[in-house]
Amino acid sequence: MLDALIIESKEDTPKVVLDSVNKVFQISERSLPENAIGFYEPVLIWLNQYALDPLDITVFNFSLEYFNTASAKQIAKILLILENIAKKQNVAINWYYKKEDSDMLSSGTRFSKLIDLNFSFIES
Amino acid sequence: MHTGNADFLNFVLTLFKAMQKDNLGYVYRGRFTQEITDNILSLTENKLEKEEHSSKIKKRVYSILVECLQNITRHQDDAKNDLPDSNGLFVIQKQEDKYFITTGNMVMNDNIDYIKNLIETINSLEKEELKSYYKMVLEDGSLSAKGGAGLGLIDMARKSGNKLLYQFRPVKDDSSFFYLHTIPSLEGLEGNFENKEESLNNIISIHNTLNAENILLVSNGPFNQESLMVLLGSLEGQMTGTISHKKKVFYIVVEMLQNIVKHGYAPESKMLGIPGIFILGSHKGFYTITTGNYVDKSKSDELKEKLEKVNSLTQDELDNYFNKCLFDFEIDSSKKAGLGIIDLRIKSGNPISYTFSDVSDECTFFSLQTVITTE
Repeated sequence: MLDALIIESKEDTPKVVLDSVNKVFQISERSLPENAIGFYEPVLIWLNQYALDPLDITVFNFSLEYFNTASAKQIAKILLILENIAKKQNVAINWYYKKEDSDMLSSGTRFSKLIDLNFSFIES
Repeated sequence: MHTGNADFLNFVLTLFKAMQKDNLGYVYRGRFTQEITDNILSLTENKLEKEEHSSKIKKRVYSILVECLQNITRHQDDAKNDLPDSNGLFVIQKQEDKYFITTGNMVMNDNIDYIKNLIETINSLEKEELKSYYKMVLEDGSLSAKGGAGLGLIDMARKSGNKLLYQFRPVKDDSSFFYLHTIPSLEGLEGNFENKEESLNNIISIHNTLNAENILLVSNGPFNQESLMVLLGSLEGQMTGTISHKKKVFYIVVEMLQNIVKHGYAPESKMLGIPGIFILGSHKGFYTITTGNYVDKSKSDELKEKLEKVNSLTQDELDNYFNKCLFDFEIDSSKKAGLGIIDLRIKSGNPISYTFSDVSDECTFFSLQTVITTE
């Protein structure tokens, strides 16, 4: 099995947990790095590996407080990999947003319209 | 509203040049609430942490800062009215390894003589004399009805080890704006006061621009991810309004500042970050967020085209354009302006204003402004 990828959050980068043993797939907190490509590179590498032999069910949690447009593109890449996995196995996306944060909800809705994945929007 | 009228943005370059001239770092103009005072303190603490090695200087700058800020809070209502000048002023600058703090507030003209005399007395005293003068004022509470106004000034002089520089600018028949300039360094500045006088005049002229343009905050670069985070932290506390509104401002500020960091042009070394300016304006019913930075002249046409396009699109068209760019992974490998500008237009809900002013053969100064309507 693939080793878990865990990245602790910083002031401008999110916490990432990709752990197929414990079945936890989550990106949370804030994502506004200057170099989003660099930050998400290991995440995308891990997911591409995971896509070769995914679990029967993958529940991916996006619990972001804030992300910049540079991160939005990387999230799009993550979702595209998950979209691919969903062709073979079950994938569900939980998109968390705060009640008062309409922008976070509309970002999620945008992705759900553009990507063929099962999105649940959860007020947190 | 200024939207669509780019001419007025010319003040950005003027302001940037004035800030650069005396190396002003950060200017705040407004009401000084506890929250804002705390923010300015942590912003400066952060700045000092990065720039200053001597813990003695750090401490000294910090304690003078506290004193200066308390002075504004205490006196900001002394001459209350609706004039732009009724807002307090705070400026920090660093020149030749020395920090300068300028604060300002309105005072009634009746108090000018008292303040002048007090500062002149303080400036005439030697270190030891200052100490006993402090004691004397402390024991004789009658000097100031406000409790400690005089003490604050003496304390500032003691801590700075330098003379206090001041000026009064008449505002109305009965009131003036009082500028106080302190130098919290370890050694006294020998002579060189003429130079400082000029520096204070520059600050006064900047203050006039701030008043005229309703500017709340100016932060002079250099910008990098680190300084961006510090500035964001201070903004979070200074914005008023609902959470979703604050967040909108936050989104826009991040995109605009990261635009500078990514695309800004540094005529000299990029070691410290990209030179530029960030300006927050507060008007009735709307905020303006303005940035200014140099861009490579060869890229300005493309940028202009992009801005024009984004401004010309309807809401639906913008949405589609955003989606297209979101999944266009070619763009992010190059340094072309991408999603950020579209996002600014969508989030602000208003057209983006901009100007280009040529400064040399290879670069032009680019000012960008978004308008956010308050709910």
